[in-house]
Amino acid sequence: MGAFLKKDVLVLLRDRTEVAVLLGMPFILIAILGFALGGLIGGDTEVLKMQVAIVQEDDEKQGIEQFAAALNNSGMSAEQETALLAVAKETSPSTLLRGILADGNLGELVTTEEMEATAAEEALKDEKVVAILTLPENFTLDALRNMLLGIGTGSELQLTISDYAATQSDVFRNILDEFAWSLSFESTVSRMAAEEGKVYGAPNFEVGGIEAVSAANPINSMQYYTIGMAVMFSLFVAGTIGSKAFVERQQFVFDRILLSDRNPLVYLGSKAITAAAITFCQLAILFVFSSLIFQTFDLTNLKLWPGIALIAAVFAICVGTLASLLTALTIRLNNETVNSVFSGSLVILFAFLGGSFMPTEGMPVFIREVGDWTPNGAALTAFLIWLQEMEIKPLWGMLNRVLATSALLLLLSLLLFPRKGAA
Amino acid sequence: MLETEELKKVFKGKIAVEGANLYLDKGESVGLLGPNGAGKSTTISMISTLLKPSSGDVRLYGKSVIKNPGKMRQVLGVVPQEIALYGELTAYENLKFFGRIYGLSGKDLEISIQRVLELVGLVDRQKEIVKTYSGGMKRRVNIAAAMMHEPEVIIMDEPTVGIDPQSRSHILEMVRQLNQEKGLTVLYTSHYMEEVERLCDRVYVMDHGRIIASGTKEELKSILSSEETVWMELDRPYPEFFKELQSFDGIRQAAEIGKGINFIVPKGSRVLGNLFQAAERHRAQIVNVTVQTPTLEDVFLHLTGRKLRD
Ligand SMILES: Nc1ncnc2c1ncn2[C@@H]1O[C@H](COP(=O)(O)OP(=O)(O)OP(=O)(O)O)[C@@H](O)[C@H]1O
Ligand SMILES: [Mg+2]
Repeated sequence: MGAFLKKDVLVLLRDRTEVAVLLGMPFILIAILGFALGGLIGGDTEVLKMQVAIVQEDDEKQGIEQFAAALNNSGMSAEQETALLAVAKETSPSTLLRGILADGNLGELVTTEEMEATAAEEALKDEKVVAILTLPENFTLDALRNMLLGIGTGSELQLTISDYAATQSDVFRNILDEFAWSLSFESTVSRMAAEEGKVYGAPNFEVGGIEAVSAANPINSMQYYTIGMAVMFSLFVAGTIGSKAFVERQQFVFDRILLSDRNPLVYLGSKAITAAAITFCQLAILFVFSSLIFQTFDLTNLKLWPGIALIAAVFAICVGTLASLLTALTIRLNNETVNSVFSGSLVILFAFLGGSFMPTEGMPVFIREVGDWTPNGAALTAFLIWLQEMEIKPLWGMLNRVLATSALLLLLSLLLFPRKGAA
Repeated sequence: MLETEELKKVFKGKIAVEGANLYLDKGESVGLLGPNGAGKSTTISMISTLLKPSSGDVRLYGKSVIKNPGKMRQVLGVVPQEIALYGELTAYENLKFFGRIYGLSGKDLEISIQRVLELVGLVDRQKEIVKTYSGGMKRRVNIAAAMMHEPEVIIMDEPTVGIDPQSRSHILEMVRQLNQEKGLTVLYTSHYMEEVERLCDRVYVMDHGRIIASGTKEELKSILSSEETVWMELDRPYPEFFKELQSFDGIRQAAEIGKGINFIVPKGSRVLGNLFQAAERHRAQIVNVTVQTPTLEDVFLHLTGRKLRD
C-alpha cells in the first residue's frame, strides 16, 4: 500500500497545472469573491474602480419623522418607542448605505455622486457611471417599518446597470445584495432586542454578515468564501485522481500493476486514501493561508481549530470515496468521460447547490435541502454551524450525512471496480 | 515450459486471433513475426494473463493459468508495446515503484534497481524525469521495469519501435546476452526481420490472426529454398544472348535490367553451366554472378503475398 500511496501523491504533486488548479485557483477566487463581497482589498483593484450615480427620491429626514409618528400610534410603551427610534436613527438604511459606499476600502473602489434621474440616465449612456442606484420615494419609511416593526413589504432599491462594464456592475450588485442581506438580519436582531425592552445600541454593521443563523458570531464573506471555495475545490481532487487513473489505464501501467499480481483493491484503496489525504492538506493550506493573508480565521484561537479539523477530516474521507468511485468507473469503462463530466459539470452543480458561490439562504427551500445533501454543502453548513456555535454536538447532523454518503460511494466503487482487471 | 492451445480471441464479433498454438522451451529465444494488426499483441496479452481468451488455453509447466494467473505472473516479465511508465516520475522512482509492488524492499530493492539500470545503460541518468527522456531511453526503462523481479520468461512486444539505431542495438545486444548468458527464456515480437534473424532460434509467423508458419530459421527459409534467384551482370546488353537464355529449360521470369539479367532457377539446377557456354558463344563477357538465398523477408513475402512493413 505504501508504494501505491507514495506514487499517487508524487504523480499528483509533479503535475504543476493540477496543483495550481487545486490550490491557486480557490485562493484567487477566495480573494475575488471575498473582496468583492466583503470590501477587503488585496492586490490590484484599479480595474474594478467604478463611478455610481445615486438618485435620491427619498427624503430621509421626513421618513424618520413619519416613522416616529407611526411608532407613536403603535401602542408600544414609551421605553420601547424611544429605543426603536434610536435604532431607527442609527440604522436608517439610506445613511447606512451611503456610509458603506463611502467607507474605507469600498470607498476607494466606489465613487458615488448624487444626481437627478434624467442626468443619471444621461451619465449611464455616456458611460460616465457604471450603474444608477435609485432610492425610491418613501424608501426610509418603508424600510424602517419593515425592518423594525415587521409591517409592510419593505422597500426596494432600484439598480440600473450598464452592460459595458459588466464586471464592475456585477461587483456593485453584489455589494448591494450583501447590504440587503445583512440589513434584514440586523433588523431582526434589533427588533428582538427592542421587543425585549432592551436598548439596543448602534448595530455593529458588517458588510458580508451573511448566513448568520445566530447573532453570536456573524460570519464574514472572507470566511464564507474560504470555506465555500475550499469545499468546492476539494471535489476537484476526486476528479483529478480519477483522470490520473485513466492515464494509468491508458498508458498500460495499470496492466503492469495487474501483472505484479497484487490485489487490485490495494490500488483502489490507495486512490481513496491519497484523495482523502490530499483533500485534508488542501483544506488546511487554504484555511491557514487565507487566515494569514486575509485574517479570515483567528489562528491563535486554539478552540477554533479542532472543530475545523474534524469537519475537514470527515469531508476528506468523503472525497476519498468519491475518488475511489470515479477510479472504479474509469477503469471499468476505460473511458475518461466520467471524470470530465464530474469535473466539468457535476462539481459546478454541487458547488452551486451546496452554496459555494452564494449562500443558499435566499433560494427555494428544496434547493437548500438538496444542497445540504451534497457532501460539500453539508460540510459547508457544518463549518458555518461550528463557527457560530463552537460546539461539536450540533455538527453531527451534517457530518453523519457526509459519512453516510461516503459509505454509499465506497460500496458502489467496490461493486463497480473490476477485480480481475479489465477484460 | 509454456504453451498455448488453440488460443482464440474475438472482439465484438471480429476475430483477432484464432487457433494460435505455440510453445516456448526453457532458455529458448523465440520470435513472433507479423505485420500490423496480425494479432501479435493480442496473443501476448492472453499469454501474460491480461486478456481472457475467448477459447483455448495457456499452460505453464503443464498447468492452466487462465483460472489461476498468479503462478504465471510470478515468473513472467512483460515489456508492453507502449511505454508503460509514469512520465512524471524519474526512472529511479518508476523502478522503485514497480519493484515494490513485486514485493521487493530495502537493500534487495536498491540492488535490483541498480542491476536493471546497468543492464539498460541508464545508471547515470536515473534521477531524471521519464517524460524528458528520448524515445530510446524510455524504451530502455520500459524494459528495465519488466526485469525488476528477475523473471524466468520475458515477453517483449516490439521493444525497439521508433528508436535510434544506437538504442536499438543496445537493446538487441542486451536481449541476446540475457538469453545466452543468463538462460532467460524470450518471446520477442517484432516486424523487423533482421532483429528476429539475429536473436531468435525459432520463429512463428502470424498474419490475420493465425500462425501461418513456424520453425527454426533454417526450416522457414527452406520453404523458399527450392528456388534461387540469379543475377548475372554483363559488360553490355546482349539481346541475342538474352533471347537464347529465355529458351533454356528451367529458367523462369528472366528479365533484362540494364546491362544485366535477372532470373529464377530451381535449386541445384545444372543450367548455370550451359548458360556460361552460351555466353561464350555470344562473346558476352560476364562481369559478375550472384545467387541469392532467401531471407525471412522473402519467406514472409512468399507466405502472405505482402511485405512485413508497408
Ligand atoms: N481491445 C480491442 N478491441 C477491439 N479490437 C481489438 C482490440 N485489440 C485489438 N483489436 C484488433 O485485433 C487485431 C489484432 O490486433 P493486435 O494489436 O493484436 O495486432 P498486432 O499484431 O500487435 O499489431 P501491431 O504490429 O500493429 O502492434 C486488430 O485488427 C485490432 O484492431
Ligand atoms: Mg502489437
